[in-house]
Amino acid sequence: MKPFRSSCLALASVLAAAGALGAARPQYGGTLRADVEAVVSSLDPASTPADLKQSAARARIAPLVFESLTAIEPDGLRAELASSWQSDARGTHWQFRMRSGVVLHDRTTLEPWQAAAAIRQREPAWKVNPDGDSLTIDTSEPTPDLPWLLADGRHAIVVRAAGGRLIGSGPFRIDHVEPSSFLLKAHEPYWRARPFVDAVEIEMGRNLDTQVTDLEGGRADVITVRATDVRRLTRRSLRVEASRPLELVALIFEQQRAADSAIAWRRTLAATINRDAICAVVLQSEAAPARTILPDWVSAYARVVASADGPALPASAIAALPIDQRTILLRVDPADVVTQAIAERLAVDAREAGFVVKVQAPAGLAPRADARLVRVTVPATTADRAFAEAAGRLSVRGWPAVNLPSGPALDATYRAEQSLLDRFIVVPVVHVAELYGVSERVGTSLHPVARAIGGWDLADLWLQGGQP
Amino acid sequence: MTLRARLFALVGLVVAVSVTLVTITISAAARRSFEALDRQRTGALIAQFRREFSLEGDDVARRIDRLAASDAAQRTAIDLARHGDPAPFAGDAVSMAAAQGLDFVDLVAADGTIISSAEWPARFGYRHGWATPPHAGSAAFLQPIELPHETALALVAVRRVPTGAASLYIGGGQRLDREFLRALRLPDGMRAFLYRNVEPEVSRQQLVDASGNAPPSAQLEPLIARVRQTGQETSDTVESPDGSELVSAIPLTGARGQVLGVLLLASSGRELGALLSRIRWSGIGFGVAGLIVGAALSYAAATQVTRPVEEVAVAADRIASGDWDTRVGEVNAAPEIDALARAFDTMAAHLVDQRDRLVQVERVAAWRELARRLAHELKNPLFPLRITLDNLRRARTLPPHEFEEVLDESLATLDTGFRNLNLVVGRFGDFARMPAPVFEDVSPNAIAEQIVTLLRPQIEAADRPSIRITLDLDPACGIVRADDEQLGRVMQNLVLNAVDAMPNGGELTIRTLPVAAGVRIDVGDTGEGLTEEERDRLFTPYYTTKRHGTGLGLAIVQSVVADHSGRVWVDSAPGRGSTFHIELPRTPRDRAAGAPA
Repeated sequence: MKPFRSSCLALASVLAAAGALGAARPQYGGTLRADVEAVVSSLDPASTPADLKQSAARARIAPLVFESLTAIEPDGLRAELASSWQSDARGTHWQFRMRSGVVLHDRTTLEPWQAAAAIRQREPAWKVNPDGDSLTIDTSEPTPDLPWLLADGRHAIVVRAAGGRLIGSGPFRIDHVEPSSFLLKAHEPYWRARPFVDAVEIEMGRNLDTQVTDLEGGRADVITVRATDVRRLTRRSLRVEASRPLELVALIFEQQRAADSAIAWRRTLAATINRDAICAVVLQSEAAPARTILPDWVSAYARVVASADGPALPASAIAALPIDQRTILLRVDPADVVTQAIAERLAVDAREAGFVVKVQAPAGLAPRADARLVRVTVPATTADRAFAEAAGRLSVRGWPAVNLPSGPALDATYRAEQSLLDRFIVVPVVHVAELYGVSERVGTSLHPVARAIGGWDLADLWLQGGQP
Repeated sequence: MTLRARLFALVGLVVAVSVTLVTITISAAARRSFEALDRQRTGALIAQFRREFSLEGDDVARRIDRLAASDAAQRTAIDLARHGDPAPFAGDAVSMAAAQGLDFVDLVAADGTIISSAEWPARFGYRHGWATPPHAGSAAFLQPIELPHETALALVAVRRVPTGAASLYIGGGQRLDREFLRALRLPDGMRAFLYRNVEPEVSRQQLVDASGNAPPSAQLEPLIARVRQTGQETSDTVESPDGSELVSAIPLTGARGQVLGVLLLASSGRELGALLSRIRWSGIGFGVAGLIVGAALSYAAATQVTRPVEEVAVAADRIASGDWDTRVGEVNAAPEIDALARAFDTMAAHLVDQRDRLVQVERVAAWRELARRLAHELKNPLFPLRITLDNLRRARTLPPHEFEEVLDESLATLDTGFRNLNLVVGRFGDFARMPAPVFEDVSPNAIAEQIVTLLRPQIEAADRPSIRITLDLDPACGIVRADDEQLGRVMQNLVLNAVDAMPNGGELTIRTLPVAAGVRIDVGDTGEGLTEEERDRLFTPYYTTKRHGTGLGLAIVQSVVADHSGRVWVDSAPGRGSTFHIELPRTPRDRAAGAPA
């Protein structure tokens, strides 16, 4: 029996090694299934999303179909449909050399005039003209960060065919549209390389709990994951990939708690926040402690932003306050489990210092809150644009008032942010990354599913069981 | 109070007292029985609670044992020991609690910091209060559990996860709340409350009722406070809207003997109250029925006893009112009452016989008195007539002129004598012919003044002794219904009698005054007064104390006053004069209708 057993073991080892080798090698074929939370009715960059969720879903899907002249990477800009660009000294005249050989989804070649028409439609004030294999853009005001601006999905190059059909140049083309799903097919003559998968089937309107269930049940290959669900997936040996921190969770005091005379009180409450514990435990290390609005990889100055000096109130002073002054009604989005979990931890930390923080997640009318814990997306763009957009999302109905940077210079953004933080009306808590759960079917490759600046990179992933 | 009423009251009293005594006795016995039963039920419930408490504790300890021995706990402990980072395990307690059906589960590191908490997930990293090594392995114990917005009371156990390398403690348990109370099988009329002593002061929010109803917090607070203070079991009666309840309060202590909860078992007095009410109403019902029966019996008995007596009394009243022919006859009663009735009839018959005889005697006496008076009255005028006739007989022998002179004188004397005889006869005739009074509105004062005016010259004549007349007439006397002439005659008789009673002079007083019955007229003199015998016979016809009186004046006075529904009487004593009083109603009884007769 011994020789037979040894032979069997040897054969099994060989087969396993072969299987492992096959699994490690990229393969073509297969349909990738992805879930998104919102229902996207249109991928047209010219249309405005109905809400933030729809905007986020479209930001994931649209780059698969439509490309821009430039693209943002964590370390800067990357050329995409434009191979290079240059401008005059003032930044009012720009010339973008178009990448040659870019084949659109209708198998025609992308011409500069088509790109110019697409941009012109989005920015009628600009003078956009084809110029040989290039296109020129003239702006009335100096726009030194124009390439960053063009990297935004709103400036994606969309060719409008007869009948309103949208034609892009991305790695996937729209094959079929249902009210709650998209079927994208691989764009064979994609200028980079054909995607490994044959198709991407995107199910829309799947809430985050359902997406986790879909992933666990093998009904989805890529889903959006909350930090609070990471442990659940990793225990099942499911892969979770993260972008750079792209969201800010911040505490915002409402006007009745924002008097200058109460700054010591706010500082004391802010000092109770144990950001490390929140990041490590609540967010399962998929976040970074935040003391600034912009994450350091966007602003590069986060490490030098200083908290405003000033003593915190001693515990005895907190205890001596009337109960209504040391009680904080903290409002959170009832649909945001992550923010609620963070708020609960804030309440625990504050409680240890003598505060009473009551977390309020109202579904309807509720008593006036003293503060709110919000989660806002920080766009991956230049610091001043990112700060302006983040400030706009923080400042609901004009509160809190935020002084925007006086110019594109980084120090202006720094001063604006420092000025905002010094008042302790907005207290950054954590920066959270976008998290994606990936099924075991998805093979590992050099390119992660989650792009560093958010969104999917589905062109470079492959499915096990496909054709090598 | 009549005999019948007394009999009724006696029977009613006996029935009421008997029923009351029986009711009180039964009520007291029922109360004692209920209290004994209540003590038994409370004791049984306390024993049941302790049993449930012990079983629940054993169950909690078993579940924590299972958790500590589970693969998940072992893996967590091993991973924790290997990597040292507790963050990945922050959510483990939730799934463990769900797996074992526990309300609370905490994973605690050897240094006492919370790794994961099912009931308060956000509290990781802080020190745990009770899942500590000293408690590991011991039996379940009562423990206050801090939660985000409250402090709960739970039955918990602590176990160490048996891995070699690292120490991981698991503490967990079940909330002690309404659900736990519901496990108690409460008999009807009993309620169970649990007070969770997890706040510095007595708090109504910590009191839960097994039934889910709002507990009577205000009533139970003093009892809870007493148990908190003394740590001893106690009981008291509390009043609630449903009635009084006997509440036993049992302290529930923690691992260090501190009072962490109070079990309150309330036994409703409603059933006892209902029973007592039924007894009371039954007593009232029996009492009423007894009173009705007693009334009937007493009525029957009283009828047998009092009816014949009442008939005798009625017969006596009739006889007293002049119906001398009244008899009781057969009464069909007890022999004693029959004898009484027969004796009454015999007595009535004897009274009639005696009355008849007395009337006869009085009639004879009256005729004798009348004859005597007539003889006396006639004798005086007749004597001069006989003397005159004798003188005439002797004068036949006188010379004619002398005879003529004697004859004239005799004729004059005879004439006078016959007139006197006529006067006497007229007086008797007048008394016999007293007319019926004619009533009209008259003033007693005016009549008195008229009489005085009429008689004053006669009274105050020069040849008469000096009599002073005093008129004291009260204007308030007003008007009475009376016969003017007859009343004047009465007053005239009385005034003349008074004058006659004062042969040596004196004072005549005529007074009128209003009285309750009507009007009183007093005529007084300061004469010699009357003896007792004279007073007794004063109003007898033909009785007089005067030499030339007919004895009819006061009889006439009495007759007139009686016709006016009044009364007359005299106050007199020898040597102190006499005063005649006449009291007249404003309207005579027989003339109440007011029409003049």
